[in-house]
Amino acid sequence: MTTSPFDNQPDEALGRVLRDELTGAAPEAFLRRLRLAVVEAGPGSQWDILAGWARPRVMAAAIAAALLLWLGGWMAAGTSALEEDVMVASLPAHTVLSAQPPPVDEIMSALMERR
Amino acid sequence: MATGQGPQRLDPGLRNSDVAEAELARAAAGGDPDAFGSLIERHGLAARRAARAILRDDDDADDAVQEGMLAAWRAIERYDPARPFRPWLMRIVVNAALDARRRSRVRQAEPVVDSLESGGLGPDRRAEAALLRERIRAGLRSLPERQRVALVLFDAEGWSHADIAATLGVPEGTVRSYVFHARRAMRRALGNLAEEMK
Repeated sequence: MTTSPFDNQPDEALGRVLRDELTGAAPEAFLRRLRLAVVEAGPGSQWDILAGWARPRVMAAAIAAALLLWLGGWMAAGTSALEEDVMVASLPAHTVLSAQPPPVDEIMSALMERR
Repeated sequence: MATGQGPQRLDPGLRNSDVAEAELARAAAGGDPDAFGSLIERHGLAARRAARAILRDDDDADDAVQEGMLAAWRAIERYDPARPFRPWLMRIVVNAALDARRRSRVRQAEPVVDSLESGGLGPDRRAEAALLRERIRAGLRSLPERQRVALVLFDAEGWSHADIAATLGVPEGTVRSYVFHARRAMRRALGNLAEEMK
């Protein structure tokens, strides 16, 4: 082993003992096993990768989208109800309560007031 | 493969072997398992050593390497040939080993680290070799995971600090620190045995 542990060069002696220790038995057989596994797996594609991790994320995205849609719909419904309330409130009482259709100029003036 | 738009710009730091590997990776991305097999021949044993540096169990390490290689094979289209292949592959293998280690931590408790001082020198070289092996294992076990990987990749595989940094996803200075501390610990663990075994 070299004297400086902060050397910029690989330590030959330490490297050799580490390789001897970690390479393990039957290296050629191990490489054959890896090659065989690749051949058996067949050609891959990005869709294989996506299929592995996408399902839970797609579910989460679908739930989030449904929540957003519901929230959007709820807010839109709330807004239109409010607008109708404002419109009704801005009309004279007899226009709302009367069984007869209101005069056009009253409706027009109510609409203009809203602006 | 991540070819992007327009002509590929090669990293100026690429060596000839990197370019050859980029070609092999390109062929592999085209569905050629033999091309990927050539890449396995080049890096399979280094991957095995890195995985064994991470995992205590040799069979688990071999399984993790296989899992990592298959993941790399399936994702080869995403490899950018303008960059060196080795860090890309090894990052996948190292991550597979780290995942396996996390799973094994859930399955079972960590074994007790062997005493670095156990045993004495035997009467012949076989006994010395056995002792050396025992101390290497114990020394490696005593190291934090990332120090162990950095030490093996730097001293056993001859990687640059930059490549190790890219593989582990840490700054280069951190890798230097890992190697420094790991060497010091291994020196304590091995004593003069490595020199005596020459």
